[in-house]
Amino acid sequence: MNSATTRQSPIGPYPRAAIATGLLVLLLAFSFSGMRAEVWTALLPFFEWMETTWFGYVGKTWGGAFATIQAGHLVSLGVLGGAVLFSDGRLLGLYSSLPLRDVIDGSHQVFKWALAVVVFTGVFMVCGVAVKVYYLPVFWYKMLTLTVGVLFAFYVRKPLVDRDLSGVSPLVIKLTAIASIMVWFTVAATGRWIGFS
Amino acid sequence: MNQLIFDIAAWLDDTAWSTAIHESYYLYNWIEATHVLTLMLSLGILFLIDMRMLGWALPNVSATRLAERLNTPMLIGFVVMFITGILLFYAVPVRSSQSLWFRIKMVLLVVCAINAYLFHRRMTQSMSTWENAPRAPSELRKGALISLGFWTVIVLCGRFIAYDWYDCEYPQPDMVRALAGCIDGQTRF
Repeated sequence: MNSATTRQSPIGPYPRAAIATGLLVLLLAFSFSGMRAEVWTALLPFFEWMETTWFGYVGKTWGGAFATIQAGHLVSLGVLGGAVLFSDGRLLGLYSSLPLRDVIDGSHQVFKWALAVVVFTGVFMVCGVAVKVYYLPVFWYKMLTLTVGVLFAFYVRKPLVDRDLSGVSPLVIKLTAIASIMVWFTVAATGRWIGFS
Repeated sequence: MNQLIFDIAAWLDDTAWSTAIHESYYLYNWIEATHVLTLMLSLGILFLIDMRMLGWALPNVSATRLAERLNTPMLIGFVVMFITGILLFYAVPVRSSQSLWFRIKMVLLVVCAINAYLFHRRMTQSMSTWENAPRAPSELRKGALISLGFWTVIVLCGRFIAYDWYDCEYPQPDMVRALAGCIDGQTRF
């Protein structure tokens, strides 16, 4: 028997999910602890520096460039949302005539590219208004939900759907899909709320 | 024509519901947030279908079956976007109707609707010959590219509406005034 296939992780059969859960717990503990205020204060110079970068200069000087990047951010967010809804919709039992594995794998590729564009355009947008968003609570909620979304997508959902799904409880699959949709909806909604603040 | 559009917009602007939506911080923002977030359902799924036709995504999923299955959720998304879009226009009718970007957006929406109709008709006629091919035939790929490009410009125009660069209340070149439908002394925010 091949020893590599039988080797167990010291933290159980789902090491990535366990690490992600640990990180999420740490993140939440940090969010409600006194350390958050200290870190927040220490981050102000970084946000001030962001406004002095080339991105910050372009974002503040040319409204057209800022709006164009915003449109790119929206389009890529739309594509990311489309990939999430398509893939999770399939996990929930919709479009059952489409091959499950191909839908999951193909959607994940689209999701990764869309996420990269969302993050790049998002960084550009933050640079233009860095000090303003630094003082907005909803910006930090968005960063928190984005971190949760990325950890969930790559360290909880991905390892789960990469398995042979016939051996996984349908309830677990459906709960994962619903959680995924809710997390990314929250990321988008908090992002939209930054514009209203 | 521009006078007629202005008169209708001014009449809408004078209605109580228009003022109520415009002056309600939460209602207006909820409608706008719904309009934007529905992008994930409408445009996100449309782009998935377009990218599949171009061979950029989901190469192992049957293109026509993908388009058929995703048609309903996509249309639900577009209906929600359409309703919320009408409400957003109704909340600020005069400025919107005299916005250059809004007018470009409306023209492109009509172009995209025609493109979607032609695309669907061509796909239905030819689906049996290429259903599982990694890329759709050239005619359909052109339609998918037009859809991707024009919808991106529509989102861009939607963002630009929020800016006042070409608003009628400021001095503008004659061409911009003509395209935006500016009428001397007749504008409102």
